[in-house]
Amino acid sequence: MSNSKTLTFAFMDPPFESERTVTFFRLLDAALEKNANVRVFAYEGAVALSFSKQAPHGNAVHGLNREEESHPLSKDWVAALQQKATDKGLTFEWINCGLCVDERGVNDVIDGCGRGGPPDLWRYASKAFNTLTIGTR
Amino acid sequence: MSDYLFIQSQDPFTEVRTEHQFALAGQLYDAGHNVRLLLVQNGVTPAHKGARSVHFDKLLKWGVPVLADNFSLKQRQILEKDLKENIASSSLDTVIDALLDGEKVIWN
Repeated sequence: MSNSKTLTFAFMDPPFESERTVTFFRLLDAALEKNANVRVFAYEGAVALSFSKQAPHGNAVHGLNREEESHPLSKDWVAALQQKATDKGLTFEWINCGLCVDERGVNDVIDGCGRGGPPDLWRYASKAFNTLTIGTR
Repeated sequence: MSDYLFIQSQDPFTEVRTEHQFALAGQLYDAGHNVRLLLVQNGVTPAHKGARSVHFDKLLKWGVPVLADNFSLKQRQILEKDLKENIASSSLDTVIDALLDGEKVIWN
């Protein structure tokens, strides 16, 4: 753990559905830019953000193949943030709610993302300098 | 006295609950707390000149500081000159700075 302050984020939106997801990732990136350690508790649909079997696809309507379409995947964004934190000597922790994972069958996650439950959110929030909860509306 | 930053992602034209969100911000401001709003996503729409939102405009009239996320503005082709008076464009750094300063940051 670096000496930087730690911020916790709780998020529940799934990938590919809401503008909130983009804003959420922008916030995580901004936190790392400000040299904050980051902890994420993902629950409900957000547990699929780190699902390792996400796959890009082409766009037949636009006549683009998979490479040309370059469809963004949230698992890659998570990985990029992990790498950014490492490069800056910060910590980036990510826990998915296990019950939410089981409901959705998204057990396969990228490296660096763990499985937990509500007590982890309590632990994260209790030990963080500050916490932001982004609820689904 | 506490410091509040409300991240306003919902707009008053499609979400009736924003009336209560703006009311809460106004009540806290009226009670002497430091209150700021950062508009993001569709939350930036009432910031446009000519947009009429009674509860939002009341906050502006009272002098509650309001910022608008520049990325959200750009996505909606709202230029800074299109914003109502007393609204400045900002980045999400505002949120992180507030969190790191120990402010109460609330997502609406």
